[in-house]
Amino acid sequence: MSIEGILHEGFITTSADKLINYARSGSVWPVSFGLACCAIEMMHTGMSRYDLDRFGMFFRPSPRQADLMIIAGTLTNKMAPALRRVYDQMAEPRWVISMGSCANGGGYYHNSYSVVRGCDRIVPVDIYIPGCPPTAEALLYGIIQLHNKIRRTNTIAR
Amino acid sequence: MSAKLQTLRQNLEENLGGRVRSLVLDRGELTLQLAAADYLEVMQFLRDEPDFGFDQLIDLCGVDYAEHAGGASQHGRFAVVIHLLSTVQNTRLRIKLFIEDCDDLPRIASLCKIWPSADWYEREAFDLLGIVFVGHEDLRRILTDYDFSGHPLRKDFPVCGHVEMRYDPEQARVVYEPVSIIPRNNVPRVVREAAYGDQPDV
Repeated sequence: MSIEGILHEGFITTSADKLINYARSGSVWPVSFGLACCAIEMMHTGMSRYDLDRFGMFFRPSPRQADLMIIAGTLTNKMAPALRRVYDQMAEPRWVISMGSCANGGGYYHNSYSVVRGCDRIVPVDIYIPGCPPTAEALLYGIIQLHNKIRRTNTIAR
Repeated sequence: MSAKLQTLRQNLEENLGGRVRSLVLDRGELTLQLAAADYLEVMQFLRDEPDFGFDQLIDLCGVDYAEHAGGASQHGRFAVVIHLLSTVQNTRLRIKLFIEDCDDLPRIASLCKIWPSADWYEREAFDLLGIVFVGHEDLRRILTDYDFSGHPLRKDFPVCGHVEMRYDPEQARVVYEPVSIIPRNNVPRVVREAAYGDQPDV
């Protein structure tokens, strides 16, 4: 796509936004935050059958190396401060996927004394994935939606 | 198996005598009911006596009989149920005892000195039902949140609790607030006719 006569061969021109978004959406590293049975589906998505590696996604054990937090499972009151702390430790830009009914709004445990009624009471959420638990395909679809969302953002203000 | 339990039942009746409140053999399971006064002594005996040799405490849990059919049991509101296993005799035994002086803080002796595995079970029963195990070295909450108040498995504890959680951006931390949802009626809207499924009417 070089502009003929202006740039040498082997160069392409694009906008900085597109380049940044390409880099960001192509290497979204999630921090592992499996809380309950949804984490099993998250593992299925990560392992070889659905293979998150082909999206450039690798689970990181440290929030400081991660761009994305997949909240997979029931968020309890006891866990909520820890979840918020992990979120605060992630570097900007960061995204959050709420996976499953429990994380979306309490789900089956909505009326419980010990469960947070939706993890969006604790951290801002980008993508909600319904299901109890969502299938690996559903999580994959949610991740692709997140990629689309990242590609839509304009980093450089206009 | 049943013959073995029959023998165990006879042995228990002979050895414990008047300390047996009731001894029921049902569905291949033997349940021994004790009085709180004899509790520790009998448990120690069951572990040390070679004829019984109950060397493992499998489970310990509490029961709240407040809304049990027929009202609170005439023995008391709270009960403790213990499951023992004898790896020597290959037998199992269920012990049940009601806590008689039932104010808001039911008390019962701790089994930690006899079976160290009772430690966390007793902490759990204390956490969820508020049963105080006298003699327990470290009776802290084990499951609920660090500053939780109340005992959630008690029948008078509302299912939705008293507080809920949210992140407060001004204080930059997670805060507790009074609960905002109304308690839901969880009694099923199904009326069963008498003798449903050949069950005796309760």
